[in-house]
Amino acid sequence: MRAVRHLVGGTMVTAAIVVMAPQVVAQQEGADADSVSQSLQARVDELDQQVRVLQRLRELAADSVTAAAKDKISPTASGKDGFSIKSADGKYAVRLKGLVQADGRFFLSDSAFPVTNNFFIRRARPILEATVGKYLEFRVQPDFAQGTTVLFDAYTDVKVSPAFAVRVGKFKPPVGLERLQSAGDIVFAERALATNLVPNRDVGLQLSGDIDSGSVAWQAGVFNGVPDLGNGDGDVSDAKDFAVRVFLQPFKQGTLSGLGVGISGSTGLERGTTAAPALASYRTPGQQTWFRYATSTTTPTTNVFADGRRTRIVPQAYFFTGPLGLQGEYVQSSQEVKRLDVEALKLTHTAWQATGSYFLTGEKNSWKAVSPKKSFDPKAGTFGAVELAARYSELSMDDATFPAFANPASTPTKAKAWAVGLNWYLAKAIKLMVDYEHTTFSGGTAAGDREAESFVVTRVQHSF
Amino acid sequence: MRTRLIASIALLALAVGADRAGAQGSAKPVTLLNVSYDPTRELYEDFNKQFATFWKGKTGQDVKVRQSHGGSGKQARSVIDGLEADVVTLALAYDIDQLAEKGGLLPANWQTRLPDNSSPYTSTIVLLVRKGNPKQIRDWGDLAKPGVSVVTPNPKTSGGARWNYLAAWAWALRQPGGNDASAKAFVAKLYKNVPVLDAGARGATTTFVERGIGDVLIAWENEALLAMKELGVGKFEVVAPSLSILAEPPVAVVDKVAGKHGTKAVAQAYLEYLYSDQGQEIAARNFYRPRKASVAAKYAAQFPKVTLVTVDEVFGGWKKAHTTHFADGASFDQIYQPGR
Repeated sequence: MRAVRHLVGGTMVTAAIVVMAPQVVAQQEGADADSVSQSLQARVDELDQQVRVLQRLRELAADSVTAAAKDKISPTASGKDGFSIKSADGKYAVRLKGLVQADGRFFLSDSAFPVTNNFFIRRARPILEATVGKYLEFRVQPDFAQGTTVLFDAYTDVKVSPAFAVRVGKFKPPVGLERLQSAGDIVFAERALATNLVPNRDVGLQLSGDIDSGSVAWQAGVFNGVPDLGNGDGDVSDAKDFAVRVFLQPFKQGTLSGLGVGISGSTGLERGTTAAPALASYRTPGQQTWFRYATSTTTPTTNVFADGRRTRIVPQAYFFTGPLGLQGEYVQSSQEVKRLDVEALKLTHTAWQATGSYFLTGEKNSWKAVSPKKSFDPKAGTFGAVELAARYSELSMDDATFPAFANPASTPTKAKAWAVGLNWYLAKAIKLMVDYEHTTFSGGTAAGDREAESFVVTRVQHSF
Repeated sequence: MRTRLIASIALLALAVGADRAGAQGSAKPVTLLNVSYDPTRELYEDFNKQFATFWKGKTGQDVKVRQSHGGSGKQARSVIDGLEADVVTLALAYDIDQLAEKGGLLPANWQTRLPDNSSPYTSTIVLLVRKGNPKQIRDWGDLAKPGVSVVTPNPKTSGGARWNYLAAWAWALRQPGGNDASAKAFVAKLYKNVPVLDAGARGATTTFVERGIGDVLIAWENEALLAMKELGVGKFEVVAPSLSILAEPPVAVVDKVAGKHGTKAVAQAYLEYLYSDQGQEIAARNFYRPRKASVAAKYAAQFPKVTLVTVDEVFGGWKKAHTTHFADGASFDQIYQPGR
């Protein structure tokens, strides 16, 4: 019985083992699989986090690069701004610009007043400009042409807003029209007769502003005061000149949007001496002196000098529409003059000029530098821009000038000039010019009129 | 001669005066720039609209408020460098102190010019974890455990990150046997668990919420609640630590800029309006703790109860905290080096 029970028990245990064993094994295997699965999941999660972290770090690195680029100082080179280094926000910048004009001037009728035909450098001006912060700008412009060094501009602008700015230093007083056009942008190689009667450069303080996006531009300033055509660095008396200009461009759209009209003027006292007369001589377009007040080295008492009020008034206008550009101004310049042996007298000289130009190649004419639609590139079949120009100007001396203050036997009373020109813009920065100008005079010699001046001027201009 | 010169100058001065008078006489629309820290975008979007309505009704003048947001320290630097903020609403007083000290843009006593130390709302630092809190994070101590990935921005650039750092430090100080050395060791351990240091609080939120990185985000309370509500409904939980820090983000008119822009009056009114019932309501709706008791009581339920300490009582004020912890070479630089 015991044996049977043992046998049965053993059989049941065996059977149970046989039946249960696969289940236990399966359970064990399941537990192992779960463990592996969890481990794998953990590993996947860990790797997923690592990948996400790497991606995020890459994003942040890209952001840092972008932010760093914003702070980066950028050097640039362009026809408009020359060579510059500026901060990313544009608030700090140094710009190097330049203007070089290589001229050839050939006089065609100079038997009475021989003038040497010449190749020469008319202007060689490095221009340094700086922007410091949001409001301050500086400009320095010397000229090294023709073997001399002359400082033309050295000023600081405080630009409070478009409607209000302050300029201190040496610069163009706000008188005239053609004088205020940049030397690199003028239509003819030399300015017209009328520009003889306005100042060139002076030292002083000027307030200015543009109202309504340039519809009204105004300048008003106090200056040392210089003679007509003068470029002064100091003053010889306590008196100062006050200059003002208002220029309107009332039409913002349409054909008349290029119309500008204005008036400028200056007034002040000037007291010269026989040794330093503080009076101007006037030049022809060929840059030859054709008028000067009486002066003598042997009898200085006959020298003429400024002695009283000097007043200039210049109504002016321009009009640009499509390829056509017109500009004109009338200048009246009065100065009280004196000789020690002659009573003081106010002399009023007058001048005017009218200039027109037209781009045969269709460029939009402008007061400022014009960019050719297509720069010179023969391989591409483009040749830049071509502009035709014509001008007439006159300058009349006050009749009372003669004979007390100028010798009618050697000094004309009036000059009239007409000119034609051709300008070829290879690119905005490079311009070739050829002008012909003919100037006639009234009086100026004992026998009659001074010999007319006719000359051709050629120019290669590089401005950047 | 001199008389004529004086007359000329007087004429010029008259012209300038006339120009200025013309400018001041008209009720032109006015624009303010509010330079703020990272997580206040939504708050000021709401507030600016409300203020514009208020100001128009009061004065008839249209006001537009432009916003600039970024890490608080970085924003302060930008203002010192010339960003023309009429008002600043930054993360910590130290950053506005810098505007006074380094920029001379407002007086040193700026904080006394508005109530509550020029802090119209407060916040604190909490922990945001993923739903179910899989790493069982209950308090600051859990953040330093191995295997816990912590997201917090860079205290060098982010005001919020400084609050985070100081809150962790303050908790460690209050632990049994806690002192500066043990606190420093704890915070060092915590930052070893930080895989990514964003520049600002909003960037850190992006890292945690949108990029799915980390187990816990140390965050402004308002940022954490906003993330729960708008960025991931049901995906996150806020864990209020046993101790945190009372964050008092300050506001100020930048006198020099507002004076130049002629916006001082409207800028002052803008900040004062933050203390009004409407301003406080908007702050509370954007999960900032309002100062006004009546509004605070109304919104009490949305803010977890946390024991709060202040920077003044634990760290001796912001200036000292900066020198000890965040200046170049100070504690943070000692415990955290990028790439390690």
